[in-house]
Amino acid sequence: MNVAYYPGCSLHGLAKEYGISVEVVCKHLGIELNEIEDWNCCGATAAHSLNHELTISLSARNLAIARDMNMDKVLAPCAGCFSRLKGASYELRNNKVLAAEVSEIIKSEAPVEPEVNNLLQFIMEEQGLDALKGKVTKPLQGLKLAAYYGCLLTRPKEVVQFDDPEQPVSMDLVLQALGAETVNWAHKAECCGGGYAASDTDIVLDLSGQVLDSAKRAGADAIVVACPMCGVNLDTRQEAVSAKKGIKYDLPVIYLTQLMGIAFGYSPAQLGLKRHLNSPFPLLQSKGLA
Amino acid sequence: MLNTEDFYHVWRIDQTSSLLREEIKEYCHTNIEMCLECGKCSGGCSNAHIFDITPRKIIQLIKIGEEAKLLKMDALWSCVACQLCVDRCPSSINIPRIMDYLREKAYKQNIPSTRPNVELFHELMLGNIKKFGRVPEALLSVEFNIKSKQYTKDAEMGMKMFFKGKLNPIPARVKDIQMVRRMFRNIPAQREG
Repeated sequence: MNVAYYPGCSLHGLAKEYGISVEVVCKHLGIELNEIEDWNCCGATAAHSLNHELTISLSARNLAIARDMNMDKVLAPCAGCFSRLKGASYELRNNKVLAAEVSEIIKSEAPVEPEVNNLLQFIMEEQGLDALKGKVTKPLQGLKLAAYYGCLLTRPKEVVQFDDPEQPVSMDLVLQALGAETVNWAHKAECCGGGYAASDTDIVLDLSGQVLDSAKRAGADAIVVACPMCGVNLDTRQEAVSAKKGIKYDLPVIYLTQLMGIAFGYSPAQLGLKRHLNSPFPLLQSKGLA
Repeated sequence: MLNTEDFYHVWRIDQTSSLLREEIKEYCHTNIEMCLECGKCSGGCSNAHIFDITPRKIIQLIKIGEEAKLLKMDALWSCVACQLCVDRCPSSINIPRIMDYLREKAYKQNIPSTRPNVELFHELMLGNIKKFGRVPEALLSVEFNIKSKQYTKDAEMGMKMFFKGKLNPIPARVKDIQMVRRMFRNIPAQREG
């Protein structure tokens, strides 16, 4: 299995700790990641909001490069990038007119392969829960976690074709395999406000606020994410939501791969856990995990 | 496999047509004739509580061809594209794609956005992608603050993020930038931010 890696802009920037921990964990699992050569931005919210042809072309170039590198699969750990890449591949397969236009723009046959995976599907399919359990050396005992999927890891169902679109379980199962407990909560697949972080912050304070309330109410110690937008919004806007609502959340927001790394015996520093605004250290120390 | 279109054919009670509806069928590959008028799209909508026109009404306005109203609605600029509407729709009507289509149309016709900062941010982001091929998050935030005249917005948080190593001062660049720029051929130059 040749795996192409599409980090996207955030895993080199705002969510560097996600990128670092993805690389550590994949290396530990014996999965070689081949970064897509000279990849470009997926266009994110901006491109799909204003120009359909542009958003499909941006992803098509990345997929075509991965195909030409003879890769079998693309791993896109950012749920936003994943959604753009997977959505483009779906549309290129079903819309021949657009596929011809895009092919002319990128001067290459419009790619419908390789298959694109988000982190959850990748772990479930390339490792599986039993193999994962066998690699745990430091079980995450005593941690009560809210597995947060957000919108784009499982939706739209017709395109993603993985897990349940509104009541997903894969991340819960992975965390349980690592020895943690997961809570039942209402907002596991609700939206955090995504791409409005800077442009219309009130939308993010509102929607991320609802997610924080729900996780707190369910009694979680921390929120676990597999998307840099979810991670950044819930971590960096938590203080503002607290101030607005007068509620103290104390909810560290941790990337799934960081917790996998801890369970595999890596130190928090190797996994970028010092980079969060809401430090996960007090919680991890109280459970003997840091 | 069961074809939704065949299955619902007998229920197609509403034969109202409009140019906009035909356009949407052609470009969005989704057929709003299949709407059962059940309202599950609005029921699922993450931002229905702030939308001026909710998804169920949007579909109805398309059916009767109320294009002018649709192209200036605030919902175009506050939709979070969370995909709940399409997933809950019994007929799988692709409302997020319809929202993108209407927004793109409004944008091309220079219809003012009800949330100019949202439009500005999109434009600045696309400008950066055209320039570098990737998004320099730190530079984009500074640019957005200056152009939206919110000079101190998130300044304190930005400093904290900088010291946590989350903001790269130097933008990364794509080598084959000419190829990226080809993709922008249909976007008017003055609208790139």
